[in-house]
Amino acid sequence: MPARSTAIRFEEVTLGYGRRPAVHHLDGAIPSGSLMAVVGPNGAGKSTLLKGIVGTLTPLEGHIRLDGPSSEIAYLPQAAEIDRSFPLSVYDLVAMGLWSRSGLFGGISAKDRARIEDALAAVGLVGFERRPISTLSGGQMQRALFARLLLQDAPVILLDEPFTAIDAKTTADLLDLVRRWHAESRTVVAVLHDLDMVRRVFPKTLLIAREPVAWGETPEVLSAENLLKARRMVEAYDPHAHVCQRGAA
Amino acid sequence: MIPMRMSASAAPHEDPSVIDFLVTPFSEFEFMRRALVGVIAIALGGGPVGVFLMLRRMSLTGDAMAHAILPGAAIGYLLAGLSLPAMTFGGLAAGVVVAMAAGLVSRFTALKEDASLAAFYLLSLALGVTIVSLRGSNVDLLHVLFGTVLALDDSTLLLLAAISTLTVLALALLYRPLVLECVDPIFLRSVSRAGTPTHLIFLGLVVMNLVGGFHALGTLLAVGMMMLPAAASRFWTSDITMMMIVSVVIGIASGIAGLLLSFHVELPAGPAIILSAGAVYVASLLVGREGGLLWLAWPGKHLEA
Amino acid sequence: MATRRTVLSWLASVLALAGALMPAAAQAPEKLKVVATFSILGDLVRQVGGERVEVTTLVGPNGDAHVYSPTPADGRRLMEARIVFTNGLKFEGWIDRLVTSSGTKALTVEAAKGVEGLDAREADHAHGRGHDHGHGSLDPHAWQYVMNVRVYVQNIRDALVAADPDGRDVYEANAAAYDAKLAALDREIRDLVNAIPAERRKIITSHEAFRYFEIYGIRFIAPQGTSTDAEASAKDVAIIIRQIKREQVPAVFIENVSDPRLMDRISKESGAKIGAKVYSDALSEPNGPAGTYIDMMRHNIRAFSAALSR
Repeated sequence: MPARSTAIRFEEVTLGYGRRPAVHHLDGAIPSGSLMAVVGPNGAGKSTLLKGIVGTLTPLEGHIRLDGPSSEIAYLPQAAEIDRSFPLSVYDLVAMGLWSRSGLFGGISAKDRARIEDALAAVGLVGFERRPISTLSGGQMQRALFARLLLQDAPVILLDEPFTAIDAKTTADLLDLVRRWHAESRTVVAVLHDLDMVRRVFPKTLLIAREPVAWGETPEVLSAENLLKARRMVEAYDPHAHVCQRGAA
Repeated sequence: MIPMRMSASAAPHEDPSVIDFLVTPFSEFEFMRRALVGVIAIALGGGPVGVFLMLRRMSLTGDAMAHAILPGAAIGYLLAGLSLPAMTFGGLAAGVVVAMAAGLVSRFTALKEDASLAAFYLLSLALGVTIVSLRGSNVDLLHVLFGTVLALDDSTLLLLAAISTLTVLALALLYRPLVLECVDPIFLRSVSRAGTPTHLIFLGLVVMNLVGGFHALGTLLAVGMMMLPAAASRFWTSDITMMMIVSVVIGIASGIAGLLLSFHVELPAGPAIILSAGAVYVASLLVGREGGLLWLAWPGKHLEA
Repeated sequence: MATRRTVLSWLASVLALAGALMPAAAQAPEKLKVVATFSILGDLVRQVGGERVEVTTLVGPNGDAHVYSPTPADGRRLMEARIVFTNGLKFEGWIDRLVTSSGTKALTVEAAKGVEGLDAREADHAHGRGHDHGHGSLDPHAWQYVMNVRVYVQNIRDALVAADPDGRDVYEANAAAYDAKLAALDREIRDLVNAIPAERRKIITSHEAFRYFEIYGIRFIAPQGTSTDAEASAKDVAIIIRQIKREQVPAVFIENVSDPRLMDRISKESGAKIGAKVYSDALSEPNGPAGTYIDMMRHNIRAFSAALSR
């Protein structure tokens, strides 16, 4: 992996829908190769943040700069909007990961096939190749999606609540993958709810409650004081909100 | 002296042989051969398109698009008479405009595909009816717009062949984006910008097949040959490629059956073909291996693992 | 400035003028009011009656006298008329009732009286049009043979003379002149038919009205299988193609197959030419191709001739 200093840079970013900000005044950088968790109360803007990085959402103000083309980001959305009833096999679902590299119109070589097999093995889905995705359990589906991420072989990986409602064994196995990615110097950003997991596995954390509350080393960020501050954030829209005065004029 | 045999119903002398029953109508009459070729072309293009429509939950889109096309073809007829290029181009233009507009609106606004399509095709239809009735409505105009499979001339056959070839090629090329668009559109969007163009091209294929179909065979037949074989194929396989093949086979078989019914039992040709396809659908619904009612009711003993 | 006196004097002069004109108007001879049941007959009556008669036709151009339902207005027209001309041969099944119910004192004249009628043929056509003339009786379309129309003209002339003796000379002159034209028409038709090779004098048509035209030598065959339904079946198409090939019929005049493309296909596959529109039971609009009887017959024979010759 070619070394870059900063994977993602935020410049006074405000992301939202209409004029209501979901995230505002986000300013800073995510260094390349970091393993970072994004935590915060419900509605804090965490998923919105990831969407902004991927490019699905355009910032209302400010810029998000990526070091490298956006196709080098692998994104796992929350409870992926996958049509489970579509007649697709696990193999074909996982193989989609290749398409981000080889494009949508290339063929699959023998080497590609080997990589698909490896990915399936890495997530413990050997033997599931021909199974239709409609027959997978939640955990199995998540494994398959992780296998697809593996195949995408991207330098930046974004995960939006990847372990929600997943059994413990699967969670543990997939966390191993996350660690492996970190060891491969990939940048991994994950939105998570489980603070114990964050403390155990993720060295860096961004605590966000519509605006960044704390950002840095996990133990400092997840202090009691910071957590209290974040909880006080108002979840609902304020009907009397004024135009925000802070930030660069 | 007028020959007395005029009064008897001069039915063709029927040879009891099965081969004669099946083959003679086609070997003796050119219009039957042409009809067969036309039906095969329609099935070849319409089947796979229908499969994708069905998988994308767009089954009624075919019917809506058929209505959207009518005004364009009517205008073409009013301007240039019964001319293949004029009516085809008119129908294509109207269909493409409606399809694009609906597709783009559903992409960029909160309105979903079904509502945006409904809005646009109704607009198109109303516009068409208004224009036609301003020029003096003619009931026969509708008759004329709906062709008949028994009257396929050379240029129409060529059109059908071209459409089905184009369709097969396009579907082969766009196979992956089409599948991805149905299964995981977010992933597709994150990986490639081919999503929107793919969707629009697909709608274009739908329009093209419908225009070719209705011009030669009537709206009923065009939409029917698209949706019924595809729906039936769902009950026989879960693999997309197999579904496409099965739908083409069912389409062709229905065409042959319908033509023979029309020949021996005197049913109108278009509806006979659709009825045959419908019969296959009902049969598939009942006894199809993949989720047919019979298998659902009596699944047999469960397996070990 | 308009004073009362000026207005009054204007009024007086206008009245005087009107008074002067009125006697003049009253002296123009009144036309003889007659009614003809359908357009062909109406034309014949006009040809004989000329300026002396005012003809009202009940079933107008392109109309279908077989299934016509008379209106109250028609009853009124009958009341005002002195003669009602009908075809006869039970062509207008509705005329007797209408005459009775209208209470008219008009004289009813059967134009076809004295014509040698042909038997109505048990043809193989669909009786979808509710004919009012029964079969097993005579075919009423006698005007398709020009020599019959010469008889029509005589009957019309005699009726007009009886009702309006003052016009005898006019009627006789008109009738004679028209009769000459009819004779010429008859020769013209015979010549055109003779120009067609004998084996090609066959036409398939769904028109049931050309029985009398067959006297000229063209055989009219009813089509088998074709229906007037919206969608033809393969069997229908097959049957008529077989019929055309078997009988070696060179031309087809069918107008009730709704799809011209289907007609085209039948024509291509069977080798038969598709004929133009012909007029059998009614004239076209006055400025159309068959605005008068002679125009109609001429139009038809030319259409037949064009389709049959090669």
